[in-house]
Amino acid sequence: MNYSMVRSLILKDWYFQRRAILLALAGGVLSLGVVALGGQAGFTIGLILLVTIMGLISAITVMGNTLGERENQTLAFTMSLPISHLEYTTSKILGNLLIFVPFWLTLVAGCMALIVVAPAIHGLFAFTVIMAVEILVGTCLMIAVALVTESKGWAISAMVTANLAINVVGYLVAHIPGIRNGMWGTAIQWRPAATISLLVEFALIALLLGGAFFIQSRKTDFI
Amino acid sequence: MNDLSVQFHGVSKRYPHFSLENIHLELPTGSIMGFIGANGAGKSTTIRILMGLVHQDAGTVQVLGHAMPANQAAAKLDIGFVSEDMRLYGQATLAWHMDFLRPIYPRWDQSYAESLARRFDLKPQQKIKGLSHGQRVKAALLLALARRPRLLVLDEPTTGLDPVARVEVLSELMAALADEERTILFSSHNTLDVEQISDQITFIDRGRIIDSDDKEAFLDRWRRLRLLLPPDVVLPRLPGVVDVGGSGRLPVLTTNRFEPAMVSVCNDLGATVQAVDTMTLEEIFVANVHSRREQLTA
Repeated sequence: MNYSMVRSLILKDWYFQRRAILLALAGGVLSLGVVALGGQAGFTIGLILLVTIMGLISAITVMGNTLGERENQTLAFTMSLPISHLEYTTSKILGNLLIFVPFWLTLVAGCMALIVVAPAIHGLFAFTVIMAVEILVGTCLMIAVALVTESKGWAISAMVTANLAINVVGYLVAHIPGIRNGMWGTAIQWRPAATISLLVEFALIALLLGGAFFIQSRKTDFI
Repeated sequence: MNDLSVQFHGVSKRYPHFSLENIHLELPTGSIMGFIGANGAGKSTTIRILMGLVHQDAGTVQVLGHAMPANQAAAKLDIGFVSEDMRLYGQATLAWHMDFLRPIYPRWDQSYAESLARRFDLKPQQKIKGLSHGQRVKAALLLALARRPRLLVLDEPTTGLDPVARVEVLSELMAALADEERTILFSSHNTLDVEQISDQITFIDRGRIIDSDDKEAFLDRWRRLRLLLPPDVVLPRLPGVVDVGGSGRLPVLTTNRFEPAMVSVCNDLGATVQAVDTMTLEEIFVANVHSRREQLTA
């Protein structure tokens, strides 16, 4: 693996997405400002803003970095560089994730802070962690589908699926006995059901990204 | 040292409505090969296989001593590639592209890049999206040449260029040929462009290589013989004649194996050889394609 080449490709993609990244950063700072205003309303509005910005940034970067190459016919230029398909795939996955993950980590930290400062909702801790990772799963789904299919239609379908999945997964997780019990309590609890749920989510992430690498390595036509 | 820059051996690639069949192609180091075919003949597919962008279903490909597509990253370090359907990043400037490529290619020649920019009348600070088609082709060519590649692969680079831009691009290519170690594969359906710069010619049609030879050998062995036949003479089928045109007593024979002895053979058969015409590369290409297609349908 030529890491220097992967780094060059990631920096190139970031350069072309720099306005979106800067806008998202500004939005992220604004969201945290709203959170810092204090009160339950401030926390809630700030976190909703942050989730919205996260959705937007992942959509913009996936569309621009991954699908834009084919749409703008720059893929031939990129693939004519001294890179292998593995390096191309790595750069696209890492490039997208490295933009998204800081926002995601901020969201997770914000949520944790909200829960820690409000004893009344301590019981939501496990549920919140699982749902935060579910958002990461959704983003990985979008990246993998966009990369493998190189189709705007499929990528949009993946985005819709990821957004709908938040509600479905939220409903299902909230009904797992090990999580449901104590969810509305005032004590932070972490039961085996939460660990299993997290492991399933991380396995899904590994499956999606590993699957993307596998399918890319089996592809015979890159242009 | 391998004196072949490109070597295709029994390469095939199948699509639902097109297939590249059993391609054998050898490009000696330092040569300039014109790769001629009609639209959809398989030129771009062959070149994409050469670049590792498309993987062959069967056969082996060696480029600059590297097996493709497995070792494509190493091979592409020494390849400059320009394709008709390749676009640069529209929102970036030419200078950005140069800065992006400079650390990637160890032999990148910045002063050559700047001199090419002046010669092509390109402004490095101008965004690619503001350039005309001709300027974009020149920019892509600049970025390929400044890498100082050992192999230059040009897939229809002159398509869509106005005559002035075409001449400028071709003259710069000819200047690049001064480097005897550089090998060039130049694909086009425009035989005039290919004829100007190539020393080897390969014709491809319907996914098959139909002929490959030195340019001079092509021009030497293809001829048109204009005959006058006496009223009662019927010309038999002559070896090396791929097409008989003209009419009745004034047949025109097209041969791909011309030798002066053919004139005597025609005279011995009672025909008068009125003229032996040389053929342009375009005429040779068209005659070659028609002859092969007739053979396939016969």
